[in-house]
Formats: sequence, structure tokens, C-alpha cells
Amino acid sequence: MMYRIPYLLLVSSLVWLSFAPSLYAETNDKLQLSGFARVVMGYIDDKDAQYLGYDNSVSVDQESLIGLQADYQILDSLAVTGQLIGHTADQRDSGIEWLYLTYTPTNSLRFKLGKQRTPFLNYSDVIDVGYAYPWATLPQQTYPRHFFSTFDGLMANYEISNSLFVMDIEGYWGYFEDDVMIAERQMKAETDDLHGLINTIHINNWTFRGSYHQGKTSVEIDDITQFSNLLSQIGFSESAKSLATDGLTEVFQFSASYETLDYFVRAELNHIHADFVFVPDTDGYFISTGYNYFPFTSYISYSKNETEYEQPANDIPLGLSPQLDSLAYGYLAIFDQLPVDSSEAFTLGTRWDLQAGLALKGEVSLIRGKANDRAFFTFDDADFDRKALLYLLALEWVF
Amino acid sequence: MKKYLTLLFLCIISFAKLEAAEAIIVVANTSDKSIQLSRQQVRNLFMGGVIPYNLDAIALPPENQTRVLFNTKVVGLTEARIQSYWAQMRFTGRKRAPKEVDNESSVLEYLENNIDAIGYLPGDISIPDNLTVVYTIR
Repeated sequence: MMYRIPYLLLVSSLVWLSFAPSLYAETNDKLQLSGFARVVMGYIDDKDAQYLGYDNSVSVDQESLIGLQADYQILDSLAVTGQLIGHTADQRDSGIEWLYLTYTPTNSLRFKLGKQRTPFLNYSDVIDVGYAYPWATLPQQTYPRHFFSTFDGLMANYEISNSLFVMDIEGYWGYFEDDVMIAERQMKAETDDLHGLINTIHINNWTFRGSYHQGKTSVEIDDITQFSNLLSQIGFSESAKSLATDGLTEVFQFSASYETLDYFVRAELNHIHADFVFVPDTDGYFISTGYNYFPFTSYISYSKNETEYEQPANDIPLGLSPQLDSLAYGYLAIFDQLPVDSSEAFTLGTRWDLQAGLALKGEVSLIRGKANDRAFFTFDDADFDRKALLYLLALEWVF
Repeated sequence: MKKYLTLLFLCIISFAKLEAAEAIIVVANTSDKSIQLSRQQVRNLFMGGVIPYNLDAIALPPENQTRVLFNTKVVGLTEARIQSYWAQMRFTGRKRAPKEVDNESSVLEYLENNIDAIGYLPGDISIPDNLTVVYTIR
């Protein structure tokens, strides 16, 4: 079941909140209320296609959202946090995004138990808080939106600091269960034994983050499971195996950033590997550099991803009988329909910090894909050139 | 000649004054008067990190000139970047920004009333005897 908030409700909430006294500052020491909101206006210059839901008319209901967070300090070392997000996009669920207990036995050790954002990539857990990053949107090539975003479980964090560096080590374990959209099909997905290790090191102006994550995922696709069982019964075990609806998911990630008062350089790369049908192996990276000239930051970015599906098996013989031929064609047709989302994006943009907690960003991206790939576009005309300019204007607010 | 010497003297005085005004001191209410912090430790402490001492940082508001100097000289990041950092830390449940007080005299008052509190102040401010300067940058 997908929930979304109407755009009018988002706007009226923003207007109401802007007249309300500062929630964050005025609440008492034990209870703290805070929040964030973004209004993102987007347009693409091509009338033949859509990209991330944006089309040839100006729309504000793809990435606009509002989030409210409450933190309550139960004891000195124990707190509870809840975060509620209302999305305008119909592809995103609105509701409780975070709900966890934090136990902090010492200054350097912290445990969080409950529903949390999965920290796969550098900005995965803060993707909805646009104010936290310079760009109007995180590149789809490195931050695919279909990725499951939350998990239920335990996270531990330990911080080591000395005169040379500060190091954060995070480990988590839990599970995920929700509807996901894979290869244009909505399906129920479950990931058990989801765990990961994240190491972040800050040395002078540098920050490095490396992480590894894995889980056992199963998806419910009844027609594929039935077809796979049929192939298995007839004895085509290779073909049956290639339609597996469960298997290992792994994510490898590395990022580096260098920041000074005047400029920044940030880069991230990741590899996503899944051992089950419909999810391709993906390599993605981005590099971005920006120049600060208060109150503005101008940046230029490049991002690229390559996706590759496992090749179909070929143990069903062709040309022996019409029945086997139609079985083989039926099997191959499943693979032919899989969309390839390899693409690249060049982005130019500027962030204007209007005041503490409020920023306006404008950016333009050239998105390009190969002639036979989908490249994250949605289109009807097969002759569409897989090239479009995406214009975004984003107002970011934290309170 | 005398005129030039006077001019030189005035220049030195004004530069010295400027330097004192631009210096930043980090002051703590701590029983251990021997504590001296490095720039890295001060940066960690005010960015929510851990250091070997149990000290609670307090900060000035974003538009305050002493805060701007502290960001420039000690943290090495713009105010906008620091605000983004705190948004990321707060909404991912990692760290909380130091408590903010209105102005320099409120910092002094807060430090005097709270054991283990630590804050930054302009270099030319006079510090009561019960507080300790743990770091100075010019």
C-alpha cells in the first residue's frame, strides 16, 4: 500500500510551520522537536520521455517532502527518536521512517535499536534531508531510488579519536520487509540477516568512508517461481536456477572527500551485486567539485553507472520440438524484457544559503544513455535518443 | 624621522590590537588547570566528536562574529557547511550540535555556572580566575 501526501497539504504545513515559533529551539531539554522540508521543482526539456517522474511540464510533486522528528531523553544514557516523513511522490511511502531507542553507555559507544535507515552509501541515511548536501538531488546513477531504504534491527557505533584522526566504526544487523519496485514490477521483498560494517576516517580536511553490506533477499514473483519450478521438473536445472527469486545481496562502497573553506571535492563509488532474477549487478560512481563564495556554492559533477544482468542459461535445446522451442522462447523473453539502466549525468549547479537552515539550489543535468538502454527514462517512442536536460530548483529547510 | 617613528609605533599598536581582537581563546570550567588542547581536539569537540576529557561544548549563534572567526580558524569550514553537517548528524541520530547561547557575555556566565562546560571567546576578553584557557589561536 503506497501512501503519499497531497502537495497542498505539504504547502499548508510549510506555511503553518513558518509562522510557528522555532520548534527546535523552544522545546524543553528532555523533548526536542525538529524537522526538515524540501520543495523540489523539476522539468525535462524532452517531450518524449520522463526521468525520475519529471516530464516536459514543471512539477513539484516528485521529490518534495516534509519530515518531523521528535527526540525524547528518557534517562541520561537512553533516548527514543521517531521520524515521520510525508512524501508527495507516489513511488515513496509516507509514514514512520525512523523509530529507535538510543543507548549511549559511554561518550564513544552508542547503540540504536529499532527501525532505521540503511546506511549503504555515504548519503543513504540522509537522502531526504536535502539541506545536508550541496546538490539539488543525489545522482540516480549512484543512489538508485529502488533500493530498500530502512531496516529493523540493531546498530552499534564506536568512535576512536587521537591527535591524527577520528575514526567511526559502525556495525548493524537486522531485517527488511516491504514492497519494492524492481524491473517495473512491484513485488514483496524480504531481506533477512542484513548486516554491514562501515568505517569512516577523518584526517585533517579528508574524510574516507568504506563499507560492506550483505543480506539474504527473497522476492515474491509467483509467475516466475511457477515457471522456474516447471523448468526444474522437466530437467532444465540451469535455466530454473537462473530464475531464482532468492539469493545474496551485497553492496561495496567507498567514498572520499576533501573540504576547505574555499572548495570541496567529493567522490563515491559502489558495486551492488544480487544473486537473484531481475536485479542486475551495478557499478556506479560520481565525482563532484564545488567552490564556496559565501553565501553561494557552485559545483560541477559527473556520475555514471553500468548495469549488467546475468546471462540466460542455454540448456533448453532449440529446434528439437515446437514445445521445447516455445519453452525456450518463453524463457528468453523474460530476459529480453529486462530494462538496462546504464547511464551518465553531467551536472552544473549552485546552492545559495539564504540563512542558517534555509537554502535554495538550482541545477541542470544532462542525462545520457545508450540507444538500446532504458537509462532510467520512461518513454513510449523507441526512437527516443536517451538524452535529456533535467532542470531542478530546490528549496531546502531545516528547523 | 620622529614623525615616521610615531607612525610606525601607531601601526604596531593597531596591528597588535587587531591581532588580539582576531585571536580566539577556548575556555573551560575545569578543576584540572593543566589541560591544554590541540586544534584537532578543539575541532573534534565542537563538531560532536570525543576527546579524552569529559567536556560539554557550548557555541555562539551562526551570525556571531566570534563564531565566524572560530569556524574559519579552528574548524576550517564555512558556516553553511557546518549547518549542513549538523542537519546530517541530527536527522541520522548520530550527534547533536552544541547548545547555543546568545552572546559572549552569556558564554562567560554559562561557563562560570557549569562545571566541565567549554566555549570559545574573543582573545581580548578578560577571563575570571576560576576558568581556564585551554587553547589559543591567533
